Amino acid sequence: MDFTFEDQQTAFRDAIRRFLMTEAAPEHLREIWETKSGRSTELRSKLADQGLTALSVPEEFGGIGLSDLDWVLVQQELGYYAIPDSLSDTAYLAVYLLTNMPADVALKREWLPRIASGKARVAVGHPVNPLVADAELADLLLLWHQDEVHALTPAQARLTFNPSIDMSRRLYRIEWTPSDKTRICPANAGRGLWEGVLDRAALAAASQLLGLAHRMLDLGIDHSAQRKQFGKPIGSFQAVKHHLADVAVKIEFAEPVVHRAAYSLARGHALAPVHVSHAKLAAGEAAWLSARKSIQVHGAMGYTWEADLQMFMKRAWALDASWGNRAFHKARVARFVLGNGAALGPDATFN
Amino acid sequence: MKMSDDEIFRLEVARWLRAHLRGEFECLRHRGGPGDEDAHPELRKRWERELARGGWTCVGWPREHGGRGLSIAQQVIFHEEYARAGGPGRMGHIGEGLIGPTLIAYGTEAQKRRFLPGIVAGTEFWCQGYSEPNAGSDLANVQTRARRDPATGEWVLHGQKVWTSLAHESQWIFVVARSDPESKGNRGLSFLLVPLDQPGIAIRPIKQLTGTAEFNEVFFDGARTAAENIVGQPGEGWAIAMALLGFERGVSTLGQQMHFAHELDLVCEMARVNGAASDPAIRARIAQAWIGLKVMRYNALRMLAGAQDGHLRREAMMYKYYWSNWHRELGKLAMDVLGPDGDVVSDDPTRTRLQQLFLFTRADTIYAGTNEIQLNIIAERALGMPKEPRFEKGKS
Repeated sequence: MDFTFEDQQTAFRDAIRRFLMTEAAPEHLREIWETKSGRSTELRSKLADQGLTALSVPEEFGGIGLSDLDWVLVQQELGYYAIPDSLSDTAYLAVYLLTNMPADVALKREWLPRIASGKARVAVGHPVNPLVADAELADLLLLWHQDEVHALTPAQARLTFNPSIDMSRRLYRIEWTPSDKTRICPANAGRGLWEGVLDRAALAAASQLLGLAHRMLDLGIDHSAQRKQFGKPIGSFQAVKHHLADVAVKIEFAEPVVHRAAYSLARGHALAPVHVSHAKLAAGEAAWLSARKSIQVHGAMGYTWEADLQMFMKRAWALDASWGNRAFHKARVARFVLGNGAALGPDATFN
Repeated sequence: MKMSDDEIFRLEVARWLRAHLRGEFECLRHRGGPGDEDAHPELRKRWERELARGGWTCVGWPREHGGRGLSIAQQVIFHEEYARAGGPGRMGHIGEGLIGPTLIAYGTEAQKRRFLPGIVAGTEFWCQGYSEPNAGSDLANVQTRARRDPATGEWVLHGQKVWTSLAHESQWIFVVARSDPESKGNRGLSFLLVPLDQPGIAIRPIKQLTGTAEFNEVFFDGARTAAENIVGQPGEGWAIAMALLGFERGVSTLGQQMHFAHELDLVCEMARVNGAASDPAIRARIAQAWIGLKVMRYNALRMLAGAQDGHLRREAMMYKYYWSNWHRELGKLAMDVLGPDGDVVSDDPTRTRLQQLFLFTRADTIYAGTNEIQLNIIAERALGMPKEPRFEKGKS
């Protein structure tokens, strides 16, 4: 594969970055997160104006029709600016599920244009996660049941809010009764769809973790340049700057792994699930290291509520455990590597 | 077989704790440790007085100062049994472990008479005024000023301390302040004992990433303390402050390790319940954590054996670095054992404890001397390596 992105893709990424820099400042996010819903319709409609909600909705349903590969750079920005789960769950995961649903054009016609225009939020419930993110504010719930896909409105289910360590998250326990009326896709077709959701969600989390790692690194660099001890910026001490250099190395080496996984998913590569798991592991490691090193460099300040670092650390820890934690993804990689007849060696392993 | 005196003593401690750490105190078990210091403060103060009535405060202090005069071996036994019983984090630990021993070693007779009984009785609580916004790792850069009021002889303080644990629960603070306005670095400092309940002092809690607040900012704006409330001479503050830190690595480390063992038990229990224990990688890390704990224990016992003459061996310098890294890793292990439930708040007490363990341990390698400072101390003092280049005015 070619690791170079097209100019158009990087230009879009840059535009999103500039937009989020002004619209998603940490102090603004804190204000939103402190509200009960934790979400801002104003920010959502601005995100829609940027085309983010329409990104992978097919053109026939009013979207832009882009691919996993276009999402990956955007997801890194969403991570860097700590944009909560709802956007990606709606515009990436739910769109994937609905678009690839066999037939049922009425459902697609009803929901995809609304998603594209930023007028609908959709929450996705997959068994790998104990709880469902952003269920209460959703207009539609897409839920797993024995590999079937079910569609409900929140009013048709009983939702119990369950706080997370990560202030940005709005998690819910959902009690509901599956019926013929709620089922929109049978198990035989649903199985593959749910696998596709899991891989895309894990890839999205991996990309966001990479962005978060980068953000925490930047916060560490800023702090170490401004904070003085012994009469000079602490960043001038080797013991401090080497911490951050270690993080940079980790991020640099995780990034192509994530891009590789996006490429595989977009192309339907047979090993895409393995590549995704590898990506989630690599990005998760980078984010953990970045959190650990950045708080160390921040000193006691990094442990305070006031310092922005905690917002990004908590988001990174939460995402790392979502959509399959490290044990889950390591097991997927191990199953492939140790699988019967798995070909290992120069011709087989490095492709 | 006849029991040794130490074995009999161990039973006595355990029996006393069983009989007293119950009833209203039952809910304090395993609470109030580092990172959990804001748990039940009033009840824990009552517990201090309960301990005092049983003669279990200041057990290592000489009898003449109100202590129990225990041998090192018996102090270790006491702290181990205390932790084994789930004894709560000691509200009085700064008085008992830090300022008390400092006053015994360097205080005047009047200071000992005035301050030691309140510490022993669990009625007066202390906090530590060292760090400032611009004096963290560079502690000698203290800017809080103290000058004498020529009329009364009192000390008058202006400035700010920060990261002051339990300031809002204490009556007294010991402060390192600059008494010679012309001085720089570790010269010209004085060590003062200052009452907190006065108009010249404002205390503001600092909210931590856990959402709780156990440390504070302490502001001095013309705060006063009597002329005699100085430990050592004016200008000797740094020497006193450093001597005090030497008491920090004392016998309570064994109790701390017993607390760690309890936390490791919780991690194992959760791994068994939720099935994480069947993951070979988790099993290996739990075994590794157990190994680390044993390493700490043997080293602490050796360290204490060598501290009989009052001088710490060089492994004492390494202890903070070792335990804080070990404990931080235990926090991450707890999170990995919890798996997808790790970031989800619940009313399962074990899960909550493990989440707190994880969040609290993020600060272990930072407070009480960062890893970077600890490694510098090991390299420079234990290994005698050349000192880190220091900034001096006029040079760079």
